[in-house]
Amino acid sequence: MKRTSVVQAFHSETVVISSVLQIGDSERISARTCDLAVQRQHELFFGSEGEQTFPVFTKPIPRWSFPSPITSKQTLHQSPVISARSVRVLGISSSSIVHIGSTSTVEAESRIKHIRHLDGPAPTRGRDL
Amino acid sequence: MNYTVINRDVHVSDIHLVAVASASLFLIGDADVINLSSAFDTPPESLIIGPFVPLVQVRGEES
Repeated sequence: MKRTSVVQAFHSETVVISSVLQIGDSERISARTCDLAVQRQHELFFGSEGEQTFPVFTKPIPRWSFPSPITSKQTLHQSPVISARSVRVLGISSSSIVHIGSTSTVEAESRIKHIRHLDGPAPTRGRDL
Repeated sequence: MNYTVINRDVHVSDIHLVAVASASLFLIGDADVINLSSAFDTPPESLIIGPFVPLVQVRGEES
């Protein structure tokens, strides 16, 4: 049996890039983001740059695979309420979850590739290939 | 391992958060399984100084 969550006032400004704002109970939430962040000195958009994949998008991230050491678990709710008077969140981004209420399984994955593209004479890289 | 949980009063008055970002979770409630992972990549060759041509798969990107 799960507890009840009570929040009197909630205020958030932005909920972006596959994020979840869940008010109430849920069973399973899974959010996934692959983000190509290009910082370019001039405003130039070629449109087709996101097609190729980078290793960071495909490389498997190691997961916790051990069975849980807890064999038996009893929960006794003397007070079945979790309460907060006010919650203020400025930004919720890149597959993040703000959850008021109980849930069972939460899974979130975010992969970000940063590229900085500065204007310059010779086509040099950070490291000469 | 036997695990007994006795939940008593939980009350927080005010919570101010600037950001909840990159596969993170802010939970007011119970959960059974939480699995969060985040990967971030900006190797030296991600700094490109040169003419503005469309980005192509940088050679030697197998890291």
